[in-house]
Amino acid sequence: MDQVFGEMARAIKSTETVRHIKKYISSFYERGQRRQAAHTQLVWNMLGTGAEILQAFDLVGEWPENYGTLCAAQQVATGFCQEAEAEGYSNELCSYVRNTLGYLRQCRDLERVPPRAPLGGMGNPNFLLGSGLICEPRYKWFQAIGTHFLEVPIFNDDPVSPPYDADLQDPRLAEHYKAQIRATLQAQITFLEEQTGKKLNLERFREIMSNSQEAMKYWYATLELRKAVPCPMGSEDYFTAIIPFLYLAGKSEAVDFYRALYEEVKGRVDRRIGVIPEEKYRFCWLGIPPWFNMGLFNYLQTLGVVVCVESTYYVGQPVEVDLADPLEGLVERTWKTAQYKQMHGSEVNPDICNPGVFNPGVGPELIKRWAGDYNLDGAIAHRTRSCRATSMGQLYIKNKLAEIGLPLLIFESDMVDPRAWSDAQVKMRFQGFLETVEARKGKKLS
Amino acid sequence: MNAKKGLAKAVELYANKGERARELRAQGRKVLGYVCLFAPPEIMAAAGVLPYRLRGDLQEPITKAHDLVEPFGCPYMRNLLDQDLKEKYDFLDGLVMSHSCDTVQRFYGIWTLNKKPSFHCFVNVPHTLTPWSREFFKRELIFFREKIENFSGNEISNDQLKKTIQEYNKCRVLLRKLYSLRKEDPPLLSGNEGLQVLVAGMGLPVNEFHSLLHEVTKEVLGRSQRPARKAVRLMIYGSICDDLGLVQLLEEGDAYVVIDDTCIGTRSFMHDVPETSDPLDGLVTAYFDSFPCPRTDRGANRARFEYIANFAKEYQANGVIMYIYSYCDPHKLDAPDISEMLKKEGLRALIIDDDYSLSNQAAIRMRIQAFLELLI
Repeated sequence: MDQVFGEMARAIKSTETVRHIKKYISSFYERGQRRQAAHTQLVWNMLGTGAEILQAFDLVGEWPENYGTLCAAQQVATGFCQEAEAEGYSNELCSYVRNTLGYLRQCRDLERVPPRAPLGGMGNPNFLLGSGLICEPRYKWFQAIGTHFLEVPIFNDDPVSPPYDADLQDPRLAEHYKAQIRATLQAQITFLEEQTGKKLNLERFREIMSNSQEAMKYWYATLELRKAVPCPMGSEDYFTAIIPFLYLAGKSEAVDFYRALYEEVKGRVDRRIGVIPEEKYRFCWLGIPPWFNMGLFNYLQTLGVVVCVESTYYVGQPVEVDLADPLEGLVERTWKTAQYKQMHGSEVNPDICNPGVFNPGVGPELIKRWAGDYNLDGAIAHRTRSCRATSMGQLYIKNKLAEIGLPLLIFESDMVDPRAWSDAQVKMRFQGFLETVEARKGKKLS
Repeated sequence: MNAKKGLAKAVELYANKGERARELRAQGRKVLGYVCLFAPPEIMAAAGVLPYRLRGDLQEPITKAHDLVEPFGCPYMRNLLDQDLKEKYDFLDGLVMSHSCDTVQRFYGIWTLNKKPSFHCFVNVPHTLTPWSREFFKRELIFFREKIENFSGNEISNDQLKKTIQEYNKCRVLLRKLYSLRKEDPPLLSGNEGLQVLVAGMGLPVNEFHSLLHEVTKEVLGRSQRPARKAVRLMIYGSICDDLGLVQLLEEGDAYVVIDDTCIGTRSFMHDVPETSDPLDGLVTAYFDSFPCPRTDRGANRARFEYIANFAKEYQANGVIMYIYSYCDPHKLDAPDISEMLKKEGLRALIIDDDYSLSNQAAIRMRIQAFLELLI
């Protein structure tokens, strides 16, 4: 079994829909070829910039952070990271960032796309659209690209999130943060209008927001179905199934995909089909996964573990807003989602004002609720040293979960760079952890 | 109150961390600990509160903090938290933090929910220098002022805040004057002395710091003997440098530290707070627009780094020590471009990556010695 799920293995999916995701969102997977053929403007952007806005401008996009996951999956990220380090960038920096900067170094030095670059490379961006959501490196990332490699226009939006102890019901405070959300969103639109020469079509944007709302209803309902025993869908599917809402929110393809996935997962629940025949342990996952070794989840399944719910990129209850003014609707969605997230504890996941639909991670109070809702036996947190934004606070959450007797294992590697992976050590830690979980399994969760 | 004056007083205040704050607290003054200037001390001082900038302790290994936070991330913040958990800040009435960076943003929750200070607040800070972000920061300062008023029981009128800003600006003028004495060759004030003065000021009421600066300046100008000349003049660039450890390592060799671009160094006093009709506007200009912390997005133009080279040239520095903490993303993502810029300007740079403790002192010393030999 270890030969199948050894180091650096791709994930084997449980659901047909996810296995055939390319059929639903071919535009995303074929974007490399399409942009070469299309001869239109290319924007490099990142999560948090609001995928619906990009759809409204019909922009051809590339996402350096997603490209990092691709490079990781194709086992070429180490080379790019090393290139960045040779350029003077610290190996402590985010490996998504190092992957991008190393790729650009190679492009500069070779004067062409590096041969090992997936998708034929990331294309030549006309402009960069960044977001400060989640962490500072995101501001510095595109800034470093602009300073060091490419002279192109850059816009970074500036979402500011209230601290955990802010009273979000206070109308003064609400307007204070909404004003910033509104202003930075409007500035982003102005930038895009200047770069594209197009005006934002509000009618089209309304339709996109409506699609997004519908897609999220199906996706959230699917996540809720995973409470069933046996769990019908695990993390090996989840971390691929998030692609449409992360990058293609508002597209009809995303609605089709999530509808199909919901129907399949519902069918699995009705027929009591689980991820594995004998489900022994049900876990929650925290942190960015090791994209170079998604077969990890299949390995866990050989030990009887199914990951039923993930803190990372969790969408929460979908927020429906009045789309009469779709821009104000986006502001309202962002704020209402922030209120929801804060209610469940935002002390270690403070970036709650996100015009996207997801959370970087959820608070400990929600995970405690999941312990009962998803019938959890434990949790696993992936500590990625190069991503302090998502790793810091896992110890805090571990201490909070200990209050209800839910054990949490923290293991360390990286999301993109497999040099940080120690297969034998990680597997030994999992096996040891399961002994702990087994010993506590009989106790009731408070 | 301390009977010493001038540099001797600064040395004593540096050595006895928090002593003056403890004395004032015993006399009934409220003391708030703060981490970063994004929460302007002027607002706290205007309410009669003593703003006490938290200081790290190089000699104290981090132990208790590891029960609460990951063993990576900003070592400086972990050091500060560790000290609070060991009751080293028992003279504080509360804690003020600001969105300096990701780590501080996350530490705010972890720290305050575990240590439970009787008062705590967070000043949020946007990242982009845009009109709307400036307006946001100004509104944050309005909320901050209200919280400090509630905490202290004292109203902070615009007039009072303007007076306090003037007091702080007077200190800035004196600090710039003191620093200008380091343009001399040899500098009339060593790096060791300068740092002790700065750190002493971190825990003093503004009027007392003002007096201290007067005394030190007079004393330095009145010295009968000039210090010995050294071959190398250095600039320190980087994050907070509040302990003599690094400066001592640099000055034990044939070098003086003559200028810096660091948090409690020139970043804190090179620009006055403009005296505006609404004093909060002046604070926004000083602490948001002008404060050159790399966490703020100033665009991709390399010109944003030129002031570093200008400083170095103005103070005739031969080389630049880029002292950067482990895991400090804002400084580390700028480092390659700053190094390149300095090289083009004819300035050599040495990057020292440290976990704040200087635990690898032997290796750092060797690198510094080799660097100084290159410059001599």
